[in-house]
Amino acid sequence: MKYKFIGLLIAILCSSAAFAQITVKGTVKDKGAVPIPGVNVFVKGTQTSVSTDFDGKYAIVVPNKEAQIEFSFIGFATQTIKVDQKTVVDVVLMEDSQSLEEVVVVGYATVKKKDVTSSIASVKGKELQTMTVGNVTESLQGKVSGVQVTGAGGPGAQPRVLIRGISTVNLSTDPLYVVDGIPMGTSINFLSNNEIESMDVLKDASASAIYGSRASNGVILITTKKGKAGKTKFTVDMSTGYQIMEKPYDMANAENYATIMNTAYTNSGYSEYLPNAEQYRGKTTDWWKAGINKASSVTNTSIGVSGGSEKNTYAISLNYYNSDSFYDIGGWERVTARIANDFKFSDKFSAGITLNPRYETWGTPGNWADFVKIDPITPIYKPADQLNGTENEYSIYARSPSYVWNPVASVSRFDDYTDQYNLNTNGYLQYEPIKGLIIRTQGSIEIGNRVQSIFRPDFVIDAAHEKAEINSIERRATTNNDWTWQTTATYSRAFADKHNTSLMIGSTMEEYNGNDVWGYGEGVPNNSESMRELNAATKNRNSAGNRWSNSLMSYISRFSYNFDSKYYLTASFRRDGSSKFMANNKWANFPAASVSWRISNEDFMTNASVFNNLTFRAGWGKVGNQNLPASVYQSNIGQGYYVIDGQVVDTSYPSTMANRDIRWETVEDISFGLDFGLFQNKISGSLEYYQKKTNDMLFLKQFPTYSGFPGYSTIWTNVGAMQSSGIDLLLSYKDTKGDFSYGVDVTFTTVDVEMLSLSAKGEKLFGASNRTLTVEGDEPGYFYGYVADGLFQNQTQLNSHTDDHGTKLQPYAKAGDIRFKDVNGDGKLDDKDRTKIGSPWADYNVGLNLNFAYKNFDLVANFYSSIGNDLVNQNISDLYNGTSLTNKVSGLNDMAWHGEGTSNYVPRLSRDDNNENFTKFSSFYVEDGSFVRMKNLQLGYSLYNKFGLDKLRISLSGQNLWTWTNYSGVEPEVGGGDSSKGDGVKGSGFGGWNYPVQPTILMGLNVAF
Amino acid sequence: MKKLSYLFLFTFFALLFTGCQEDEPSFPSSENPTVEVLTNEIYGAPNRKFEIKATLNDDLGLKSVRIQIPELSLDKIINFATEPLLTTYDLSYFFEVPADRGISEAFKIKLTIEDVSGNEIDQEIDLRLDGEFSAPAISMITPKEGAVVLLSSSTDLPVNFVVNDDSGIDYIEVKCEALGINELIQLTGSPQSYTFNKTYTLPVTAAQYVLTITAKDKFAIPNMGTMNINIVATNEYPAIYLCDQPKGTNLTTDAVGVPMYFHTKVGQDFEFKYYADTDNKEIYFLGQEADFAPHCFGLNASGDLVDDVASSAIVLPTKGYYKIKVNPSTLVYSVAKYTPTSYVWANVANGLWHDDETQRRPFVSIAGGGIQGANWDTWNAWVQTSLHLANNPDNPYQLVGEYTLTGTMEGTFTGQWWSPSWRLIKNGIATMSPGSNGNAKYPAAPGVYKVILDTELERAFITKK
Repeated sequence: MKYKFIGLLIAILCSSAAFAQITVKGTVKDKGAVPIPGVNVFVKGTQTSVSTDFDGKYAIVVPNKEAQIEFSFIGFATQTIKVDQKTVVDVVLMEDSQSLEEVVVVGYATVKKKDVTSSIASVKGKELQTMTVGNVTESLQGKVSGVQVTGAGGPGAQPRVLIRGISTVNLSTDPLYVVDGIPMGTSINFLSNNEIESMDVLKDASASAIYGSRASNGVILITTKKGKAGKTKFTVDMSTGYQIMEKPYDMANAENYATIMNTAYTNSGYSEYLPNAEQYRGKTTDWWKAGINKASSVTNTSIGVSGGSEKNTYAISLNYYNSDSFYDIGGWERVTARIANDFKFSDKFSAGITLNPRYETWGTPGNWADFVKIDPITPIYKPADQLNGTENEYSIYARSPSYVWNPVASVSRFDDYTDQYNLNTNGYLQYEPIKGLIIRTQGSIEIGNRVQSIFRPDFVIDAAHEKAEINSIERRATTNNDWTWQTTATYSRAFADKHNTSLMIGSTMEEYNGNDVWGYGEGVPNNSESMRELNAATKNRNSAGNRWSNSLMSYISRFSYNFDSKYYLTASFRRDGSSKFMANNKWANFPAASVSWRISNEDFMTNASVFNNLTFRAGWGKVGNQNLPASVYQSNIGQGYYVIDGQVVDTSYPSTMANRDIRWETVEDISFGLDFGLFQNKISGSLEYYQKKTNDMLFLKQFPTYSGFPGYSTIWTNVGAMQSSGIDLLLSYKDTKGDFSYGVDVTFTTVDVEMLSLSAKGEKLFGASNRTLTVEGDEPGYFYGYVADGLFQNQTQLNSHTDDHGTKLQPYAKAGDIRFKDVNGDGKLDDKDRTKIGSPWADYNVGLNLNFAYKNFDLVANFYSSIGNDLVNQNISDLYNGTSLTNKVSGLNDMAWHGEGTSNYVPRLSRDDNNENFTKFSSFYVEDGSFVRMKNLQLGYSLYNKFGLDKLRISLSGQNLWTWTNYSGVEPEVGGGDSSKGDGVKGSGFGGWNYPVQPTILMGLNVAF
Repeated sequence: MKKLSYLFLFTFFALLFTGCQEDEPSFPSSENPTVEVLTNEIYGAPNRKFEIKATLNDDLGLKSVRIQIPELSLDKIINFATEPLLTTYDLSYFFEVPADRGISEAFKIKLTIEDVSGNEIDQEIDLRLDGEFSAPAISMITPKEGAVVLLSSSTDLPVNFVVNDDSGIDYIEVKCEALGINELIQLTGSPQSYTFNKTYTLPVTAAQYVLTITAKDKFAIPNMGTMNINIVATNEYPAIYLCDQPKGTNLTTDAVGVPMYFHTKVGQDFEFKYYADTDNKEIYFLGQEADFAPHCFGLNASGDLVDDVASSAIVLPTKGYYKIKVNPSTLVYSVAKYTPTSYVWANVANGLWHDDETQRRPFVSIAGGGIQGANWDTWNAWVQTSLHLANNPDNPYQLVGEYTLTGTMEGTFTGQWWSPSWRLIKNGIATMSPGSNGNAKYPAAPGVYKVILDTELERAFITKK
């Protein structure tokens, strides 16, 4: 009987429900009125859900008018709409960059943002595309906490990217870039920012350990744009504009130059260098105007088409980037195409292939400083009476007595260009034999060819000082072919609803091969363009060539588990075998583990509605650095020659010695983080602390003399340790008021680096020509020199600068010279008085990213700052120094000390500099290098569904328009030193005649249809 | 930015610690410090240093001493460490009087001594600039430095010198312990000049002696001059020099090579190789390097070789290279002209350094010290074209040039990458095979010198222009 009642009740309920049921239809589009397929449409409180079709359309049955329909899609803010009387509900979904449902690439896999347990920062391609840059990392500046990007000027220059400081002193500090799963080395100059869908920065070892031996500098994973099922979409993205180059210093005119040099000469007891300075009035040569363009063009253009069906999606783009140099010649040009095809053969079997052909060409003279430094009296061309008509076109220029080679002539001779051709083919096959098990194999082949051609014409500007008596030609062709192959099997399964697990295992193989051939010859019959070939050389032909290879084989695994989306555990393990090491150390293990606790999912947080997300994370991991030369396990013989009795005798000597026990630099790090989202994610962000320690650091050491090896023989060894620690903070706020929406992102990064040990107790590692020091217990590469304690103002001050017995500490000093401090107080001024006089490392970096939108207008502003670092302004020794004949800053005769109280900074003008004001490296050269730079300001206006287009946006933007800094050098963004001399880290912060990061004005056009 | 950060931090901590802590430790009151000066009157002179000497004391601890002569722009403070406290300090402070002050000027030196309790005392010292600081000048007539006494000729050692001093001579002392000489001549009336002339007798055994001559003047702060003369007493000549300079020439004004040291020696048979740069070149043989006396070998009236300062020169009839043998004991010599067969380096001179290796031409330059523009960096030798030697058009075995010497010189003549190179060792020998001999140092008065590198003789001649 009971059962009858129950049956009746169910029948009544069902029928009543059936009576009330309503079918609701509609279309889901984005802000640009483009239909969104695959949107999850879900009736709240029921199990009913459907997805939108290719045209963004849906139809769903709701129980009644009170029903609420939820529309959700990755990358868009979820919307909930009450049905009421409506039967048609059209929805416009707004994009949401903070969505926890978004997918994050974690290396050989993707996970939802909410399930990430380690330190990974994601940036969308759209954010990177607001700037017109050759290298996309420049656009990354200030957008990710924990990542310090130091801009680099010049066509094709590569910014320095440091992820959570530095973990090595002698090897490269660049992160590993992985594009669509394929490791692509430490540069992404080849990639257009328009090709990028998203960028994920693996900051801590628990995230990056899956890349093992190359991950110690962090890993940046780049996902390129792929096609989406739906109608075919065409896009055109263009921006073009001008880079502005202002003369960085107001230099002396001819008369002022003569006055300055005369003062320097007479102050040193010589007769005037250019007597009667007034005779030069009005006779200034404007070198800058003659060789440097105020505006040089930059263009970034992409044309794309994408679309597809359920079975096949595609995305094709053609990208062009051109940046002219500010000379009349030179620049960088890049043409790339990306053709991506993905196929779904069945529910179980899918595949994809991406072709990426690329072409780059570059070459720029490097002598712009000479246009500033050359004296303003010398004319550009020789006067007619010095020409006899037999000179070639490169010999008609005048020689400057300043010993600066005529820069206009140098640029006219410049012929040093490189062409690079690459083809990358990246394909995968994926098979899902049973539900939850995905077997994927992916392979990539990269073929590249680089050809550098140099021609140096013969010329005689001055027979003693400025000439090349014979012309020369050289060409180097470098070919590389690299391949990678990786296979993974991933099994994911949920148990009892609450236990979610995933296990991935796999293996990878990579091989990098290259070879080069070089030819050289002299005595080409003439300098005409058509003769600039090696075959035309008649003398001193020479050639060289080499071949190299290295490989890596790895086993990888990752296990993920979460309980009820509250407690997460991820563990990964990689075992790398590298050809760079011998059997003893060939293999190394890189384990990592991380946990997280999504506190906001706890029951006790149910009432704390203020939190949309609150997650605590902790991670640990080990990563390595194997970026040392490929063959340090073997000894090398160097070639040389020696002249004995006038005969050249070939010699050989041991140049590098094998270290068969060489092994990886290992970085071990721990990281703690707190992710939060409050007030419906209006406020969100993360706060992280990390500490990473490098062991077995690789150093290139010289042999002790008693070993019998020559002093220039070296060996790589694993010695020393260092530690970096710091805080990354990301804070975002966003809100909408009617038609007005805005967002503010602040990134804050601190890095504290300390050397824990070096190869020997008390060892001092000098860098940058003994101007930096690296010792235990302090940061690496700090500026090391004398302390400049103002200028001697009078004889009394000179007389009192003595030891306790009256011996003068600076016997050659005169009033107006720099007073150097006797730091150790031993009554002598010598090497021991050098001390720490500055640090190239910032106390903190702050990025501020603002975006506003009102109706169809949008405004983006990005700021980046580096606070608390010092810079060495090396240009001082050119601009203020009377010992050289180069031009000086205008009015230097008044700026420099010329009587008591006239200056306490710029020393007196002197031809001899007996006091070594300029040759002693002192705090005189060190300046506060802090700066705040407006990286980008862009105003856009968008039209939707007009003129037959889905979207039309025009924009006006300015990059690097304003920079606030006390640094008086050319450019406050100064990276590392010459890495070929081991100064990559130890030579950081030396500003000189760096090609500046230029202000740029651009107009943009984006079309989608 | 950093400055602002620091300013903020400084202000913060300044406020935090205000009232909590004093800047400096405080000390109890104590007695005044004391000062004891060595003299109340110091003599100085323009362009010369004088010394301020005093002993400072304090019962608790000294804090500082300040030395002031405002007229001479001296205001020096010496601060003393307070951990531990310093109760006594010997002040010894030198200061150079500016060159433009007059010798009749006088000043007050003010010393201000402060102790840690804040007690201060002043002390004044008179400074006069009319001081006389020159040591008595000793002019040696005989023997000259390095003199050789040939015992077989005579055992006499005549010692003859003159002493001069403006403020008067107090005493003269002649000493040689090995010879038992110890003479002190106390002069009366402070004469400004005194001549010493006395002959001593040497033992017959060969030996080396050092004769020390000391003279002291009568100035308030006495000045003393000392000279050491090395003398070789021998039965054989250790060396014979070939001199092509006229008699009476000062043989110490050259830097290197004059007179010329012998090439080979077997017993007392000395052999020279020599280049006569003109016809009828006149030469002598000398028993010592610095002077024509006491042993000068030339020809007597009958054309025989004699050891006589008054002898006539040997004449080499024609220009060219000679091999010259001489035995100073048997007084026999021979002269033979020869044609050199050594490598002609003429093609390495007149070269040119160029940054571009292909455009370099061979050259010979010098690396070393005491030569204007030169240092031990070979790169410098290459690029400093003023140091490059030129080919002697008259003699392919000679490279010639002009150097400005700045003091004691040393050097190695070098081509590119030290090839070829001639190291200048002792006795003016510029050899491509220096063996274990290092570069020798040659004292030289600053000035411009003529340089000849003779690759046949393997000798350098650097003579004052």
